[in-house]
Amino acid sequence: MVGPVIATHSSRAHVQESIARGVLLAASAFVILAMAAIVVYLASEGLRLFFVDHISPLAFLGSAAFEPDSRSPGALAFIVGSLAVTFFAIVMGGPLGIAVGIFLSQLAPPRLGSIMKPAIEILVGIPSVVYGWLGLTLLAPLIRLHLGSQTGFGLLTAGIVLSIMILPTVISLSEDALKSVPVTIKEASMALGATRWQTIFHVLLPAARSGLTVALILGIARAIGEALAVQMVIGNSAVIPQGLLNPAATLTTEIVTDMGSAQQGSVLQHSLFSMAFLLLLIAMALITLVRWALKRSAL
Amino acid sequence: MTATTPSTATPFVRKDNASQRRLADAVATGLLWTAALGIVLLLAVFIGYLLYLGAHVISWHFLTAPPSEISAGGGIGPEIFNSFYILVLTLIFTVPVATAAGIYLQEYARPGLFNSTVQFCAESLATIPSIVMGLFGLIVFVQVLHWHFTALGGALALTLLNLPALMRVTQEGLASVPQALREGSMALGATKWQTIRRVVLPGSIAPLTTGIILIAGRIIGETAVLIYTAGVSVSPGRSAFNWNPFHPAETLSVHLWYTHSEGLVPDAVDIGNGSALVLLLIVLVFNISARILGRGLSRHFTGK
Repeated sequence: MVGPVIATHSSRAHVQESIARGVLLAASAFVILAMAAIVVYLASEGLRLFFVDHISPLAFLGSAAFEPDSRSPGALAFIVGSLAVTFFAIVMGGPLGIAVGIFLSQLAPPRLGSIMKPAIEILVGIPSVVYGWLGLTLLAPLIRLHLGSQTGFGLLTAGIVLSIMILPTVISLSEDALKSVPVTIKEASMALGATRWQTIFHVLLPAARSGLTVALILGIARAIGEALAVQMVIGNSAVIPQGLLNPAATLTTEIVTDMGSAQQGSVLQHSLFSMAFLLLLIAMALITLVRWALKRSAL
Repeated sequence: MTATTPSTATPFVRKDNASQRRLADAVATGLLWTAALGIVLLLAVFIGYLLYLGAHVISWHFLTAPPSEISAGGGIGPEIFNSFYILVLTLIFTVPVATAAGIYLQEYARPGLFNSTVQFCAESLATIPSIVMGLFGLIVFVQVLHWHFTALGGALALTLLNLPALMRVTQEGLASVPQALREGSMALGATKWQTIRRVVLPGSIAPLTTGIILIAGRIIGETAVLIYTAGVSVSPGRSAFNWNPFHPAETLSVHLWYTHSEGLVPDAVDIGNGSALVLLLIVLVFNISARILGRGLSRHFTGK
């Protein structure tokens, strides 16, 4: 018998190994550094409204009077607007996206699946301004014509555009979630005489619950952060919207509307940075929620 | 797949008969098919409509001429150039950092605080709204570094936005290489890095390439982040095609937004229609070439 082979690395290979390891480690550390820089810089600009201009956070979050020139930067109308369009987007796009996810993971003939995958990939790739342009030239006239809205711009138009924009996210994540359910569970259900739909509804959907939750949360994250497509069709009116067809504004659209003309150091500019910081906190909260949902399912 | 056992055998629904269950199954199947075909139809309508709107606008002049400030007849030449220029700059920064970080997470990192912090930061970066990243870029590149609006600032902000997606692509690509290949290489005496460089990376080149091209297709459509970093203008005249990374560089997608919302030209609608169509065509080309190239590379490197 020969003893175990001892790999004899040349010392050069060893040096290369440690260099490579160091470089790769540095690249990963860069991700942490980048995120930390973003939080620090946005916080330092976003908190100026409260610490430099001495405006109470309550006046920012709880008031709908957005008049930064008279020191009243109430962002409530934008917060409500953001929540409203996100709500419509997820109510319309969520179920549809999950339905297509079910179709792709359970029903789709391979040939059709191989057409739909690239189609969804293209929907992801279409720039948000092009979605905005489609909303502007195709959807808004339809809503103006058929629903009696004056301009065609408003919450509903923005919600529909967003619901389409979040579809690819929801579809691909829910497809992955459903595919990761062990096939034996599905077979057991079918063997007990359940129809395909009974199996999907009573077995697969509950088993994939946490993955589907993640799909919806990331859909919400995409919707609440979208700026230009919404700005092009929502009508941009800084009031709490009274109805579906009324023009409104969101946190993101307000930044787009006023950032270009905001003077450095003004209350207006500080309040826009505060909105950006708020959006950052929302994004991080949603990611924490995603991690929590996944951890719970792993137990 | 119809049920053959008596309906009393199903554990799920108490009062139930076979024909009802079969009806529900048929209805659900019909709805799921409708939803799926609806998505494909939606995409077909989008493409058809944008072609209908924009086809008559596109001409050699439109694709190459510089934009006009107030009169009609401006083109989108510098904008197309800037879109690709910023894309290339972004990829130069993104690809090395993202692949390196992806390799570390997939091949070296062990579960622990560092690993989970990197994951959390990557996921957060991926979720940050484009407009928020734009304001971060505005703070750092315009206000702190005083670069003003530059192609470089735009590319760096885009890099942060797209690092996580490419890291994920790298990790998935590496994960698709069978573990036995790594073990075989290590057993022959190769170091870990030699194994990664000579065995694992070539084995994952096809999914990596496909992933990079698809992400490139998304980068070229990014808009909100660029408004406050690369700006909404191009240099006037001949110098509009500018290789200097420290010049303002309005991209095509920014141009589409800007002509619509702030522009003064009388033919803004035509320019919008043309720009939207060109953007769509670019995205289509990226998607198709990603697929063709991915298939070719996969055949070449893995024989599959």
